[in-house]
Amino acid sequence: MEDIRALVAILAIMVGTFFSLAGVLGMVRLPDVYSRLHATGKVGIYGAVLLLVAAAVWTPLGWGRALLLMALLMVTGPVSAHVISSAAYRIGLPMKNAIRDDLAAAQSQADDN
Amino acid sequence: MVIYLRWIVALALVYLALTSNLEPSNIVVGLLLAGGVVALIRPPRRPTQPRRPLRSVVASARYVLTLGYDMVVSGVQVARIVLSPSLPIRPGIVAIPAETNTDLGIALSAHAVSLTPGELVVEIDDDHMMYTHCLDATHAETYIKDAHDLRIELLNEIFP
Repeated sequence: MEDIRALVAILAIMVGTFFSLAGVLGMVRLPDVYSRLHATGKVGIYGAVLLLVAAAVWTPLGWGRALLLMALLMVTGPVSAHVISSAAYRIGLPMKNAIRDDLAAAQSQADDN
Repeated sequence: MVIYLRWIVALALVYLALTSNLEPSNIVVGLLLAGGVVALIRPPRRPTQPRRPLRSVVASARYVLTLGYDMVVSGVQVARIVLSPSLPIRPGIVAIPAETNTDLGIALSAHAVSLTPGELVVEIDDDHMMYTHCLDATHAETYIKDAHDLRIELLNEIFP
């Protein structure tokens, strides 16, 4: 039992660290604020959730606390990503290499009317 | 009164999960704290009551499972894009209809879209159109539509 718990904890830590790293790498490599939010907002949460799994299995944190923290992370993560992207769009930060922009089209149409 | 009791029980459960201590004295403390919070905040009555509690519980469970699966796929997909040397993204903002009318439904479906692979809701207008930033905007509409339809169906079962 102890061995299985250690194995689960180690696997969760390794995968969680991998995703946290991928999130940081995405923050550096992706071109603009909107695509960077994909990397930090979602992949970062994924890494944190897996690290919480490891903590729940291996440390005296307990599943109740871990599950509550995971739920809060998953509820608040997309909300903060949405608010940041919305604010960025409103102050007019451009998208790099965009192939379409329905929102700009809709707004110019609304301005015409 | 019954509605307030429901809030008190839910808040007390959160308190017990956070303290992870099931002794009777701790349960009493949790209930008292939850009662104090509810007395101070006076949460609003819920607008709709589920007509079929069992079906809405099953639909909620399926909804949470779908979201979890989407999160896993989302993480793997974005990690693959970030790690590939050529950085294969074709970003763009795509308009998707939310297809629900209540505020809660729109908030939940925007939340779900933001959790799914390579999509992020930037703006919602008065016509319930969700303007979504996609990492790959070429086939986004058909792709999102499929996932979106399933979630709308589940949401309609949870909040009839």
